[in-house]
Amino acid sequence: MSFIKNYIEQQTLNRRSLLLLSAYGLCGMTTAATLGSGVARAAAQNPKIAWSYRDRTNPYWNSIVSGGEAFVRSLGKSTSDLINLINEGSSEKSLSDIKSLLSRYGSEVALAADPNDMPNCRPVVEAVSRAGAYVSTIWNKTDDLHPWDFGDNYVSHMTWSDVGPSEQTARLLFDAMGGKGGVVHLGGIASNNPAIERLEGFKNALKAYPNIEFLAVQAADWDTQKANQVMSGFLTRYGDAIKGVHCASDTMAYGVIEALRAEGIEDMPIVSYDGNPQAVELVTKGKILATVFTNPHWAGGITAALAYYAATGFFKPSAEPKEHREFYGPTTLVTTKDAQVFKTKYIDTNPTYDWKDFWSLGKGQIKYRS
Amino acid sequence: MNQFLAMENFRKWIPLLVLIGLALFFTAVNPNFLSFRNFARIAISASPALMVAVGVTFVILMGSIDLSMEGTVAVCAVLFALMLNALGGSIAGWGWMAIPGTLFVGAILGAINGLIHVQLKIPSFMASLSLGFVGIGLSLLITGGNRIQIEDPIFRSLLTLRIGGFALMSYAALAALLIAWFIQDNTTIGRNFYAIGGGEDLARSSGLNVGKLRITGFVVAGIFFALGAIFAVARLGIAETETGRNFMFVSVTSVVVGGTALRGGSGGVWNTLVGVLIVNVIGNGMVVIGLPDYFQDGVLGLLVIAAVYLSTDRRSLSFVK
Repeated sequence: MSFIKNYIEQQTLNRRSLLLLSAYGLCGMTTAATLGSGVARAAAQNPKIAWSYRDRTNPYWNSIVSGGEAFVRSLGKSTSDLINLINEGSSEKSLSDIKSLLSRYGSEVALAADPNDMPNCRPVVEAVSRAGAYVSTIWNKTDDLHPWDFGDNYVSHMTWSDVGPSEQTARLLFDAMGGKGGVVHLGGIASNNPAIERLEGFKNALKAYPNIEFLAVQAADWDTQKANQVMSGFLTRYGDAIKGVHCASDTMAYGVIEALRAEGIEDMPIVSYDGNPQAVELVTKGKILATVFTNPHWAGGITAALAYYAATGFFKPSAEPKEHREFYGPTTLVTTKDAQVFKTKYIDTNPTYDWKDFWSLGKGQIKYRS
Repeated sequence: MNQFLAMENFRKWIPLLVLIGLALFFTAVNPNFLSFRNFARIAISASPALMVAVGVTFVILMGSIDLSMEGTVAVCAVLFALMLNALGGSIAGWGWMAIPGTLFVGAILGAINGLIHVQLKIPSFMASLSLGFVGIGLSLLITGGNRIQIEDPIFRSLLTLRIGGFALMSYAALAALLIAWFIQDNTTIGRNFYAIGGGEDLARSSGLNVGKLRITGFVVAGIFFALGAIFAVARLGIAETETGRNFMFVSVTSVVVGGTALRGGSGGVWNTLVGVLIVNVIGNGMVVIGLPDYFQDGVLGLLVIAAVYLSTDRRSLSFVK
C-alpha cells in the first residue's frame, strides 16, 4: 500500500502549500496593489513549476501530468516539486488557484495550464503577465488572444486540430465497411471544440463515400456508460442497418464495444480517438480499427518546459516566430497494422524526450476560421 | 369514503400506468421500441440502477436519505476489480471471494454512514453526501485515476449469457429484488423501517431502538449499492471512479417517480422497480425515436416532474418542503 502513502504525502504537501499560498495571497495582493507593478526583473533562477488542469479521473490528464513530472525530473528535481492545481472543471477555481500561486511566488512562476474554457484564458494570462511570471497554455483560448500581444510572459499556446485525423479514421472505417451500409457517430459534449471538430472530420469523409448512409449522430458526453446506453438505443432504432460506428473518443468506444458484445456482435468496425492505452490495446486485437494519439505525455512535459525555459531566460519568446508561439500538437493515427510497434514505443514505456526541443513535434501554426 | 379508498387504490397503480403509457408512446413513434430485444437491452441498462435504487429505497422508507451511492459504488467497483484480479482473475477460482468481499465493503461503508448520521446527529442528507465525496476521493486514491479491466469470461457472462433472451444479469437483479421484497415485507427490520418513516416519535415510544434501526437501514443500502457496483462492472468490464457517475440522479429519481414518498413510510421496492423502468424507458426511448440530444435532458426533467405529479397524492400532504 506504499503508493497510497506516497500519494497522501504528496497531496498533503500540495494541499498545505496551496493553503499557505492562499494566505500569502491575501497579503501579496495588498502589497502588489500598493507597490504597483513595473519593477525591473531579472530572469528567474529557479522558478516554481505548476500545472493547472481539470482532474485525475481521466487517463488523458494523467498522461499530461506524467509528462510534467518527467520534465521536472529532467531538471534533477523530485516529482513533488511540480505543483498540481486541479480546477475540477471550474474556471473560477482555476483562476483563483493561479492567483494564489502568483501572489506567493510573484514572477518566480512557470505555469502550464489548460484554462478549462476559452473565456477563462484571458484573465489567467493577464494575471500571470501582471505578476511578471510565465505561462504556456493548451486547448482553451479565444481566437482574439495571442501570445505575441503579451511580450514574453505568455510564452505559447498549443492546441490540436482534430478535423483531419477524424476524417482519416472515418475513411478507414468506411473502407472496412466496404464503402456501403449505415454508420452512426457518437460525439462528445456538444459544445466542446474537439467534439465539433471530430464530427466535422467525419462529415468531410462522408462526401467521398456516396453509398455510406449516415444514420444518426448522438452526444454521449465522452462517457462510457452513456455511450453504452446510446448504442443500445441505436441498435433498437436501426438494428442490422448499422454496419460501422465512429466514436469521438476512446472512452465512448469502450461503451459501444460492450453494448455490441451484449448482443453477441463481435466484429463491427469501430474507430475512436485519443490513443489511450486501453484503446491501443484494443487496436492491436482488432476490436477497434483505428484511434488517434495526441501524445499527452509529451504535451504535458513540453508545455511546462516552454514556460520554465522562458522564465529562466534560456530562450526569449518574443524573439521567436509566430509559429513557435501558437502551434498544433502532434497527432498520430494508430491502426491495426502499426498498433503493436506503436504500443511498444509509446504506451509500454514513454520515450525519453529532449525537453529543450520545443517545436519539432508540432504541426505548424494555428489557423483560425474567420 | 369508498370513493376516497378507490382513489387511493387507483393512485397506487399510476406509476405503472405512466410506464405503460410511455411504452405505448415510444412504440407509436417507432414500432421497433416494442421488441423483445429492446426490452432485454433496457433490462441490462436498468439492472445496476435497480440495485442502487432498491438500496436507497430502504433509507427513504425511514424518512432519511442516502446520497453516498456514487462514492460507495465507485469504491466497491474498484475494490471488487482489485480483489478479483488479485485472487486469480476468475470467478471460477478463488475470485468468487471478491463478491462477498465487495458486499462486505458496501456494508461497512453503509455502517459508517449510518453511525455518522445517528451518533453525531448529522442530517442524513449531509452525512451521506459528504461520505459520497469521501468515497470518490478514496477510489481515486486507490486507482490513481486509472481504470481496471475485468476480462474474466465467466464473470462477464452476467452480460453475455442469455436465458430466454434476457441477460443473466437481469435475472440476478430480479433475484436480488425478490430478496429485498422479502426483507421489506416479511422481516421485523423491514416492517420497522415503515414504522420509523410513518412516525418516528410513535416508533420510539413503542420501544423501537430507532438509532440502531437507522444504522441497519444504511447497512442494507450499502450492500445493495455494492451489488449495483458489481453489475455495473459486469456491464462494461471496467472499474473506475467514473463507474459511480450519475447513480445519484437515476436512483433517487427512480424511487420518487415510482411513488415512494420522500417523507418516508409509504412505497416500497416494487414501486422502485417501476420507477427504474420508467427512467430507463425514457432514456432508451428518446434515442430510439431519434429525439435530438440537446432536447433529451430537458425532456427527461419534464417527464420526471409529470410522473411525480401524477403519482403522489398531494391532498394528504400538509406542506411540501
